[in-house]
Amino acid sequence: MPVDLKAVTRRPPEVVKVRVKRFHPEKGQGWWQTYEIKTYRGMTVLDALLKIKAEVDHTLVFRYSCRMGVCGSCGVVVNGEPRLSCQTQISEKATPERPEVVVEPLYNFPVLRDLTTDFTEFFEKHRKVRPYLIRLDKQERENPALEYEQRPEELEAFYEYTLCISCGLCDAACPVYASNPRFLGPQALAYAYRYLADSRDEGWRLRLEELERDGSVYRCHFAASCSSVCPKVVDPAGAIQRLRRALLAYNLRLFKKRTAKNVEPMKVSAERWPLPPEARLMEGVDLEAQEKGAPVIPKEKLLED
Amino acid sequence: MKRILENRLGIWASFKLMGATLNNNPERIAFILHRITGIILVGFIFAHIVSTNSLARNGWESWVAVEVEHLRGINPISIAFFIAIGAAVYHGLNGIRLLLVEALALWIGKPERPKPPYVAPSLKGFQRKAIYAVFVLSIIIWAAIGYVMFFW
Ligand code: SF4
Ligand code: FES
Repeated sequence: MPVDLKAVTRRPPEVVKVRVKRFHPEKGQGWWQTYEIKTYRGMTVLDALLKIKAEVDHTLVFRYSCRMGVCGSCGVVVNGEPRLSCQTQISEKATPERPEVVVEPLYNFPVLRDLTTDFTEFFEKHRKVRPYLIRLDKQERENPALEYEQRPEELEAFYEYTLCISCGLCDAACPVYASNPRFLGPQALAYAYRYLADSRDEGWRLRLEELERDGSVYRCHFAASCSSVCPKVVDPAGAIQRLRRALLAYNLRLFKKRTAKNVEPMKVSAERWPLPPEARLMEGVDLEAQEKGAPVIPKEKLLED
Repeated sequence: MKRILENRLGIWASFKLMGATLNNNPERIAFILHRITGIILVGFIFAHIVSTNSLARNGWESWVAVEVEHLRGINPISIAFFIAIGAAVYHGLNGIRLLLVEALALWIGKPERPKPPYVAPSLKGFQRKAIYAVFVLSIIIWAAIGYVMFFW
């Protein structure tokens, strides 16, 4: 389970030790530093780091942006497990017996300072798998006038993989990424599969040829740590196995894919008018007057409890 | 002066028990065991080649007699042999599971929309049950072989 869903209801220990692995580029050395902070119910690791920065030590450097698990910039290693610090409750990691949280920068990423890591390589690898739709019709691709036709089940086939927020936790957890710098990593490969499985994409031959030449797909050994740490349940491990099956089929000349056609944009059909009653404006509501001031709803239209 | 700290875990990541700290990830433990048993098997094959080669010069019968002598009772050589057998059993069984999962993408569930409790489909699929089956089966087979080797 990526997140202990009950943790937020528990109270963390009153005082928690936060042990942070720090690194200063100008001193050129790393060290461990321990802070003691008071906690409150619902405090996350990111809250704790912010509190340390505000009250104890303002030289501590870390990266964050949205504080709600959307931007993917706050990845750190908490007690040996790659996590989004904004989504990790202190009460999940610190117990009354051992009120300690150990925070390290993400494994397998070069550390710039303290908890801030360099994502250049990560995004270069992301770029390598061509994370965009490839269409054979150049004219239509550059100046689109039509829409793609896609069935709901074709959307389901890749929807899960579009949820990735590029936080890098999967690469930090992967034992192969750790020992093989040429391995593209779970994130990039999940994206490769996301575009291969997308029925709007026509570049499957190019994608499969490139993946075959790169060989990264065959380096995976299904330790599945990527899927277990992913905060968005993207399941990169499953994606890599499916890529491998696709490559096997391709090498046996069995690979088939239905690609979407371009169709005329949908038009609202005339039978939809007049609108069904629930979509019609309420009688007695003056739209123009409402746009000027606060909305006024006639008394008799208000629902009573 | 180091401007950037390299933080790659390197080959150590293949043995570090991150599997114990990661939630819900027996696959990682299976992976670590697969690596370790693989190394044991490579060592065993080398030892096997050396031992059969040097002794076989005296003829097949004498070699078999020596081997049987070595494998009777509890001594370092029979224990090493026993460990190698255990490694082979686990490596083989887990290898079958990995073949099905990795080459054919069997047992890893279907892509689905995330819903509570937010477990990735490949971690819920049949391969998870297969891991426990591999663990249990290899222990049973290993114990049976040990019984035959040492107490029969
Ligand atoms: S696949 Fe998951 S863990 Fe990996 S970068 Fe995307 S969101 Fe993060
Ligand atoms: S701060 Fe945006 S994901 Fe944590």
